[in-house]
Amino acid sequence: MNARTSMSVAGGAALTIYALFFASSYDQRILTLSGIYVILVLGYQFIFGHAGALSLAQGAFFGVGAYTTGILGSKFGADFLLTFPLSIVVAATLAALVSLPVLRLKTHYFALATLALSQLLLLVAINWEPVTGGANGLPGVPPVTILDWKLTRGLPLLTFVWAIVGMAMVIAHMQMRAGRVAAFTVMRETPLAAPSFGIDSGMLRLRAFLLSAAFGGAAGALFVHTNRVVSPETLGFGVMITCLTMTVVGGRFGILGAVIGALLLTHLPEWFRGFDEYYLVAVGILLLAAVVFAPEGIVALIAPAKAPHENDKPSLHTQSKRASATKPSRLALEAIDLAKSYGGVRALDGVTLSFGPGEIVGVIGPNGAGKTTLANVLTGLTPVDQGTIRLGGRDITNTPAHIIARMGLARTFQTPQLPNALTVRDLVETTQRAHGMSPAADEALDLLTIRSIADARCDTLPHGLRRQVEIARAIATNPGILVLDEPAAGLSPDEQDEIAAICISLSASGMAILLIDHNIEFLSPCVSRLICMEAGRVIADGASDETLTNPDVRNAYFGVISS
Amino acid sequence: MLLTQIALNALALGSAYALVAIGFVLVLNATTAVNFAHGEGVVAGGFAAVALAILLPPDIPIPGLLLLPGVLLVTALLGLAIGALAYLPIRKRPPISVFVSTIAVGIIIANGLNATFGAAPRTAPPLIGVGTIEFLGASLSRQSLAIIGITAVLMSGLAMVLQRTQLGRQFRACAQDPEMARALGIRLTRITMISFALGTAFAGAAGLLLAHQFFISPSDGGTLILKAYIAVVIGGWGSLRGAAAGAMLIAFFEVGVATFSSQPLAEGLLYIAVLLVLFFRPQGLFGEPQQVRV
Repeated sequence: MNARTSMSVAGGAALTIYALFFASSYDQRILTLSGIYVILVLGYQFIFGHAGALSLAQGAFFGVGAYTTGILGSKFGADFLLTFPLSIVVAATLAALVSLPVLRLKTHYFALATLALSQLLLLVAINWEPVTGGANGLPGVPPVTILDWKLTRGLPLLTFVWAIVGMAMVIAHMQMRAGRVAAFTVMRETPLAAPSFGIDSGMLRLRAFLLSAAFGGAAGALFVHTNRVVSPETLGFGVMITCLTMTVVGGRFGILGAVIGALLLTHLPEWFRGFDEYYLVAVGILLLAAVVFAPEGIVALIAPAKAPHENDKPSLHTQSKRASATKPSRLALEAIDLAKSYGGVRALDGVTLSFGPGEIVGVIGPNGAGKTTLANVLTGLTPVDQGTIRLGGRDITNTPAHIIARMGLARTFQTPQLPNALTVRDLVETTQRAHGMSPAADEALDLLTIRSIADARCDTLPHGLRRQVEIARAIATNPGILVLDEPAAGLSPDEQDEIAAICISLSASGMAILLIDHNIEFLSPCVSRLICMEAGRVIADGASDETLTNPDVRNAYFGVISS
Repeated sequence: MLLTQIALNALALGSAYALVAIGFVLVLNATTAVNFAHGEGVVAGGFAAVALAILLPPDIPIPGLLLLPGVLLVTALLGLAIGALAYLPIRKRPPISVFVSTIAVGIIIANGLNATFGAAPRTAPPLIGVGTIEFLGASLSRQSLAIIGITAVLMSGLAMVLQRTQLGRQFRACAQDPEMARALGIRLTRITMISFALGTAFAGAAGLLLAHQFFISPSDGGTLILKAYIAVVIGGWGSLRGAAAGAMLIAFFEVGVATFSSQPLAEGLLYIAVLLVLFFRPQGLFGEPQQVRV
């Protein structure tokens, strides 16, 4: 048993004994509220922690759940078995409705949109008096009633709420298996590159957002059963602030963090009684201190997290050959008349090229010639304005990047895109999982001779190794096509030779490689063809010598040489 | 006649909002982070005016105007404190951290004011007296005219500093590319702290301007930051002129809708409008200046 588990068990036991034998009815009420907030925070961890998006709508989902139960309960006396699932469904449906416009927004716009949504719902609750009871809300919400069994406040309700907390914990745990946690980490830390790893970022964010809403709705429903009234406060920014504070102070990841945050913040008012009205000032100071001094939350201070890969590896080393059995699928890539403009700059201006299995095609060109734009367009990261791209005969023009990646087109980036918090093995295996393969990093790591660093965190690696990890990650999925964007930049001549040798051996096994670089000495020995770009156009495409002696190419690099 | 007065009110409200939004952008450009405590800066300005007003001798014709330097000073110091506590220690972390740390500062300010002054709305003294001035047959509110005038002076002052001085050039350099500016020898920390001081002082001035006619209570910060935020999204992320224009648009929208129906409806429509803007233009109404490259 590790420290975190044993601590949880001990803490849980102590808390249970306290609740059963020592807590007054007031204490029991506070503990009930703690449980409700645990559910709210567990939900918020999906979107704020794992997806890394600052949602300010968690309070709104809480309020929506609260009002669903409140209205149905107080007006129609509806049963818990109806109102509770409905509260969850209504909150999740609201999240689904707004997800399409909202989820693709960048950080500060996402925060604004979710805040505006919350304010809008609050206005509705205050002003739609016939339904919501207006500013006073609705009294007379019935207690939790299941068929004929009425749960009274105190120990019965406390036990019931914590039973639901238990279920929420199980769901949260199942949703966040280690593999998916790693996929979220990749998406959070290398958001621009993640689709090229085959990761469907949109789907991950949607899952996180819906889960956060569902948990929020459940918490809100239980809250009104505890208070027996529903009022606009359940939709107010205060709930959001409380939830945010609990999550930041307790920890953005993991069940223990949620429990610590919720227990602490619900009990603070009792402990800080002497502060009177300045109590909330103390909460603000606590939140600020947590952000500055304990960015991973209290949970990380008292029980540091394990390296993520320790969670899930049932005998990886023994099954490491499974994925490698497959040869790269033989694919050809064909681009016809591609055009892409940024404002007035034509980054690609009628580019046509194709290459197939076993070929290594080099792309050179002065800075700004459009080489990286070409890589981004071919791999689906940047939509084209015009033109057609075919992968293995199938039209993939403007297909989402993660689908193109899964079809067998892998790439590396000019600046290696490695998520800091993951180990090399986790990164490679996460990419394999995203491709529907069973995780087996060793073969790819062996090919690059970097198996010895498999368990090193990516942020500890020096530049040369980062490049190699980047390539290992790309070839680990047995792609048919490999696009390498300046793989040799910043490497020593020896390291460059190594990369060239790897390219040659990969192409010998049937992989088609597009090698973008500046360094002719690196390219010449390994490419079968050399393309030169200038100002968004292909100005030469042929054997290495032909391209290098082409007068247009010489002009592009050296300017027109007057005769 | 009535229409002139409504337009003047909207213009005055828009001026105050514009000060808030410009202050928001000043900090944004220096830090690339959202200062969520900016709304509390406005509230602090209002309460600074309420508190300082006690020191004024009675029967002064222009009490509010006399308070302006004091309010600017107090809120500039508050801005320095926000920068030092909530930004500098975590400047290397992702922007989301600053968002949360400034939310924390907002909680501290709002609840500190609440505990000190109470939750009830307070009013600051009028800027240049109450009542109206007759001009070409229209009666114009003194307060509205003063708000517009003070805003014009503050904005011209800012424009002068930004365009004509070495400090202003450094400001603009940092706004375009903080890392490059630092590499060129600009003291980024100094510029950042000045931005916090200046930005919060602008918010504070808006607090003084708004607090007479609209009252101010400790919990008002949330709505105010939301409006500044929306103004900046409408006007183009990081653009000072855009922020001012966005603020004006919001004020005219609010006053217009509220005149013909109700305040909650005006507010609700504003939020729906901003959601629609983000739906159709996920990069903001005028796009963002720089793109991230892989």
